[in-house]
Amino acid sequence: MSRRGGVSLLWIGLAMAAAMWMTACSDSSQDDPVGDQRLVYRHALDGAPRSLDPAQASNVYAKILAVNLYDTLYRYKYLARPYQLTPNLAEGMPQVSADGLIYTIRIKPGALFIDDPSFPGGKGRAVAASDFVYSIKRHFDPETRAQGAWLWQERIVGLDQWQKDGADYDQEVPGLRALDDRTLQIQLISPFPQLAHTLAQGFSAVVPREAVEHYGREFAINPVGSGPYRLERFNSSGAVLEKNERFRQHPLSLEAEGYDPASQARLGLNALDGRVPPFMDRIEVPFIAEDAARWNAFIAGEVDFIKAPVTQFDRILASRNPPTLSEELSQRYNLAANLESGFVHTDFNMDDPAIGYHPDPDQASRNKALRCAIVNAFDWDQRNEVFYYGIGRAFSGIIPPTAPEFDAAQSRLAPQRDIAGARKLLREAGWNPRNTPVLEYGFPSSVTERQMFEQFRSFMADIGYPPDKVRPLTFATYGDYARAYLNREVMLTTTGWTMDYPDAENTMQLFYGANASPGSNSANYVNPEFDRLYRASATMPPSPMRTSIYRSMNRIVMEDCATISGISRTLILLWNRELAMLPDRSFVGGFFFRFVAPGVGESSLRGESSD
Amino acid sequence: MREVMRPLARKLFQALLLVVGVTLISFLLMVWFGPDQTYTLIGKNATTEQIAEVRHQLGYDDPFLLRYGEYLLELVTLDLGVSNASGESVRTLLARTVPISLVLMIPGFVLGNGVGIALGLASAHRRGRRSDRLITALSVTGMSISFLVVLIAFQVLFSTPYGLDLFPVRGWRVSGWTSYLHYVTVPTLALLFVTFGYNTRFYRALFIEEIGRDHIRAARALGASESVILWKHVLKNSMVPIITRIMFSIPLVVISGSLLIESYFGIPGIGQATFEAITSGDQPVLKAVVGLTAVAFVAIQFLTELLCRRLDPRLG
Repeated sequence: MSRRGGVSLLWIGLAMAAAMWMTACSDSSQDDPVGDQRLVYRHALDGAPRSLDPAQASNVYAKILAVNLYDTLYRYKYLARPYQLTPNLAEGMPQVSADGLIYTIRIKPGALFIDDPSFPGGKGRAVAASDFVYSIKRHFDPETRAQGAWLWQERIVGLDQWQKDGADYDQEVPGLRALDDRTLQIQLISPFPQLAHTLAQGFSAVVPREAVEHYGREFAINPVGSGPYRLERFNSSGAVLEKNERFRQHPLSLEAEGYDPASQARLGLNALDGRVPPFMDRIEVPFIAEDAARWNAFIAGEVDFIKAPVTQFDRILASRNPPTLSEELSQRYNLAANLESGFVHTDFNMDDPAIGYHPDPDQASRNKALRCAIVNAFDWDQRNEVFYYGIGRAFSGIIPPTAPEFDAAQSRLAPQRDIAGARKLLREAGWNPRNTPVLEYGFPSSVTERQMFEQFRSFMADIGYPPDKVRPLTFATYGDYARAYLNREVMLTTTGWTMDYPDAENTMQLFYGANASPGSNSANYVNPEFDRLYRASATMPPSPMRTSIYRSMNRIVMEDCATISGISRTLILLWNRELAMLPDRSFVGGFFFRFVAPGVGESSLRGESSD
Repeated sequence: MREVMRPLARKLFQALLLVVGVTLISFLLMVWFGPDQTYTLIGKNATTEQIAEVRHQLGYDDPFLLRYGEYLLELVTLDLGVSNASGESVRTLLARTVPISLVLMIPGFVLGNGVGIALGLASAHRRGRRSDRLITALSVTGMSISFLVVLIAFQVLFSTPYGLDLFPVRGWRVSGWTSYLHYVTVPTLALLFVTFGYNTRFYRALFIEEIGRDHIRAARALGASESVILWKHVLKNSMVPIITRIMFSIPLVVISGSLLIESYFGIPGIGQATFEAITSGDQPVLKAVVGLTAVAFVAIQFLTELLCRRLDPRLG
């Protein structure tokens, strides 16, 4: 190598280093001269969305961002509990024909997409009813890799056929039409009382066709919506949202949002009544999966909100029932105990002849006794105490406490552990340590899951089940686990189900025969009576009769011992006291961001931010 | 000319074989043992047809050799496709994340090796004395503590009200030298704490071996000062293994070294992107990272050989 060559190489190296430095240090947000005066809310998430395309908003993290970047026709009232729907982009609740088949929805005037190069002249245009039609069609286009089609599959006239015909966007769907720029009409195949709920999901958010076609696959990281915020930055560490200055002017009415002065006066929301959201200029959403890092960021004041890690509950809580904040922390933070809108349950694979259905009626009966013994042996109190700090809510069945149809009276009686009853069942059915089948308990590999398995094994040992016959079946990732149980290869499957909307139909379908694997009925449970009731209730609007049917279905599943269920976890949400807000991880989800506002003494909300 | 070209051609051919071998084995592992992304991309109540459609889109139903051939073509043309998870172009993703990882890791890497060399030299020079034992004890301590524990401890110590509260807990909002130092200090200190032990032990052993050689004894006999012996004779003559170690650490430092740091400190570099790709089975990203790391290794091997030959003409 000559000296000259060495010098050239040095220059090339220096140039590359300079380019690298400029790329790595390209965060211009700190150079904003007015940055220090703007209101910033920093909301830490304990996981990250992979995509910001509403068609792929399948997890809570993606939904939270989707409903802020995009508009949905409906949303849930900010403060009303139980949860209630309210119009969002829609002008009012849908007009429904007498037969429940035709929904007509008007959208509000003045809704505009944000400015973006995908529009002519870069200027965002008005949102039209046809945009909604396009957005729903995308779910049925295989190219989109959408995850929300199940909400409308076999529901809307002509939509499934449109997919079979090749998903040509210029071809009309008879049951999904824009009557004019502001009027939308949906024609159903049969009544679907939950339709309005599906229109409050992130999946149903309205996207402009120009942007989807302009960005192609990268639309997932270049959101172009009409929501209260627009995206400034998104990467694996977090997202930064800026207020959409063109968001429609619609004042907040606390009364319309379900404000309850008796229980919510402490939140400091009164001053917001009549003001126009969104109230914060900027929302930063760091994704912090590691519990310790999330807690440290919160304590250091770098984020305003966290879902508290269970490992910190000892430090955070002064009491468990109801959960209250320790005196030290209550000077700086507010707490909300948010019962999750779902539940954790362990399903038996009814397709497995060793534990589930069997062609021989005697063996089928013995298998049922075995399952019921296992259900009786499960100690929900211990599970709650060890893994959920004793603040989860165990209940019997498949209707969780957040569902309006939850039967509090029934669930108080169960699930009680009954070791003697379990042993009796085994004995009467002729099961003994020698002839019991090997139980394979599946889970994705993690320390907590392993501990849960070991606890399950100890429960089984209490009824005389040989420990060497209760075996772990581990998977490297959740995707591998899902593949196995959706292919009916796992005998005992533990999963969490988060309800999509507050209607027990959403959990009943978990045990509907037609939804067996690879559908969401991972128990592969088939009971003709249950299925008949499911079909009968599917078209019924909410009513005492429908609730009664749901409860009957609940009993059927529990009597068949198809699942060990369940527990709803209580999430401890903590936020900076300087903020006037009521956070929620259930159905309101990310919709509350627009209502977050500075409260008394909001000095720390202005200026430099953490991420 | 032929004398120059022939070894070069041989080296290039060997490098090509190496790249093919590494990519083939890693692709085989990815396909056979990597996570199946299908089931994270399908919606609820998916039908078997929908599952088959997604598998087809992901290319899982293509023959292995076809998939591998496409992979090699992607590497050659640098058309690395798009991430299955986010839809982002892999090239854009690499351009966005690799520079961040580099500027994050360089201070820790340089300091880790610099401190390792200095302490290794001091320790070797004073072998068996109290300072040597102290350095060895510190090194073993650094090596014994889990990196994760170090990260948590340093974060609490330097960034929270429980400790000094001087630096940010996490994030990467770098727009100049001041903010850079603000964000890079704690990760660098953590990296330094963990790596200096390994580096010091390695370099100490290296220098001890060098100090025991005849030419050092000869220099001493000729009255050379200790500093001349250490800096001119021991250090200079150890440059070949030093350079080799440093050069071969670079690709690992960029990819795997930053993985934990980036996840824990919320820094959007290539380590975090790789970690997510591994756990989710995002093959376009994984293929690009593995393939480009293999190419980087080969290139570095080539460069290292050139450098070593320049430092020690006997190797030529």
